Amino acid sequence: MKTIEVNKIDVGYANELIIKNLSISIPSNKITTIIGPNGCGKSTLIKTIARILNVKGGAVFLEGEEIHKVDTKEIAKRMAILPQTAEAPGGLTVYELISYGRFPYKKGMGSLRKEDYEYINWAVDVTGLTEVQNRAISALSGGQRQRVWIAMALAQGTDTLVLDEPTTYLDLAHQLDILLLLERLNKEEGRTIIMVLHDLNHASRFSHYMIAMRDGEVVTDGTPEEVMTCANLQQVFQIDAHLARCPHSANPICLSYQLCQAEKASACCSINSASKAYHQTASG
Amino acid sequence: MRAEKYKQHSQKGKAKRAVLVSVTLVFLIIIIFFISLNTGSIYLTPAEVILTLFGQGTEQQNLILFDFRLPRMVIALLVGTGLAISGAVLQGIVRNPLADPGIIGINAGAGLSVMLFLSFFAVTTTISIILMPFLAFLGAAGAAFIIYVLSYKRSEGITPMRLVLTGIAVAAGINALMIVLTLRLNPETYQFLATWLAGSIWGSDWQFVLALLPWLVILIPFVYSKAMVLNILHLGEETSIGLGANLEKERRVLLASAVGLAAASVSVSGGIGFIGLIAPHLTRQLVGDKYEYVIPVSGLVGALLLLLADMIGRFIKQPEVPAGIIVAVIGAPYFLYLLARLKD
Repeated sequence: MKTIEVNKIDVGYANELIIKNLSISIPSNKITTIIGPNGCGKSTLIKTIARILNVKGGAVFLEGEEIHKVDTKEIAKRMAILPQTAEAPGGLTVYELISYGRFPYKKGMGSLRKEDYEYINWAVDVTGLTEVQNRAISALSGGQRQRVWIAMALAQGTDTLVLDEPTTYLDLAHQLDILLLLERLNKEEGRTIIMVLHDLNHASRFSHYMIAMRDGEVVTDGTPEEVMTCANLQQVFQIDAHLARCPHSANPICLSYQLCQAEKASACCSINSASKAYHQTASG
Repeated sequence: MRAEKYKQHSQKGKAKRAVLVSVTLVFLIIIIFFISLNTGSIYLTPAEVILTLFGQGTEQQNLILFDFRLPRMVIALLVGTGLAISGAVLQGIVRNPLADPGIIGINAGAGLSVMLFLSFFAVTTTISIILMPFLAFLGAAGAAFIIYVLSYKRSEGITPMRLVLTGIAVAAGINALMIVLTLRLNPETYQFLATWLAGSIWGSDWQFVLALLPWLVILIPFVYSKAMVLNILHLGEETSIGLGANLEKERRVLLASAVGLAAASVSVSGGIGFIGLIAPHLTRQLVGDKYEYVIPVSGLVGALLLLLADMIGRFIKQPEVPAGIIVAVIGAPYFLYLLARLKD
């Protein structure tokens, strides 16, 4: 079962196409991560899936319906998005901002109903914001603020969450904190999560499915095991990666890397030998 | 449980504050209203005013109050309300606190059409008194429409930044044209035009109250019903889309409402600026950013400011200093103060 089908889309700014004829399927109830170098079109792809950008050709389907054609409010009841540049008016409290997540369900001036409050309270609770719910957004740290935006998206009560670089600008602990939250939402509630991440190791550790892009095209996609190979990373990022196993997820991670040198481009190493090499150096 | 209570308290706190602010504003408006009734070239004592209001006045007192002062003050209240709410809505659409109806060409458009009219017809004829607000409205709405069309792009619709820049460019063009046209006017007409442009509430007649009122009665409740949409637009384009707001459609209807409010107001008051800028600003300081509160409260603040400005204008000099000038004289320093405070 696929939640989102991207069918032969053309997308671009002005007259220049960034993505040409791209097709991809996003699996339901899984965490999918899009990776790739700067300017590879990953942000464009996720913005198109989120219907922030329009397609010039082709179509994106959410549960079988074309997202650029269906009433946008109906889509908002099924898919919530967290843009890269979310900014809140400083005077709003955490609770108020999260309550805006109920917007797609509101009719005219109607005030929040009991069901709305239940969703909001649950979103506050699950993101661990109960303590700060009455504070002004401007008084929060970056990590807390990101949680508030996720909580707002959760209050939308959708099965699908789309996040554009949710961990950028956060420190190491807060990055992990956000990713663990997303992992929990996926595990416990079966939510479909689609995101762009910069950190390869985070992508590998938390995703079921990865999409690697370069120059507006999908280079490879599949499980972290399939995508995180030396050959793929070389092709996608032009790096010589030294791979190892993540002690937490057992998925491949990139221990360290060199820029590819043209003449010895094929000089790649396998996971295990790199890992062994690492252990040898570490112990020796 | 305790957190639950605190939450409700804090939500209610904001609503309470908004109500308190509104009541205070209404109270201030009533006070200024009565002082204003006593202000003018012919002095009436407060007792005379009250007697006249209750139908005990002489013919002259009746004339002064019911035909000159009251309609003028009612116009000031309505225009202040209209411009302030228009400004609040525009600031929401373009997500810029420096926006006011001037940026969508309202004042320039109304000014140009009044000027064109004056260069062909005399001010004093009855027909011109009826036609002028109508033409001013058309000019204002026309300029706004041109700005809309010029800043519209098929792929992206209306983006706030392009709207603002186009607005500035078109207004500059219209103003330049007006300077050229000034040469055609005789001194007397020019005098009238200058006063009109400065925002003297010149349409002080019950007819104009009737012409203006329907716009406010229809558009203000409509805009108020869109308060939640304005809250959402405030969060930025991408977040609004994610929450299911139909950006293009909402922007268009809100923009049209703001144009309607401002154009109708300016058509009877002349070129009053600044109210649409500072009233919503002051309001945000008082009740915060939520549009459920910003819309009604800025209406009250705008009404109070313009009533006060008109009264001061009549008080310091006879026949009068245009209210628009008083607003600018008070508004500009306040605005600079706000900007200075925003920096840190």
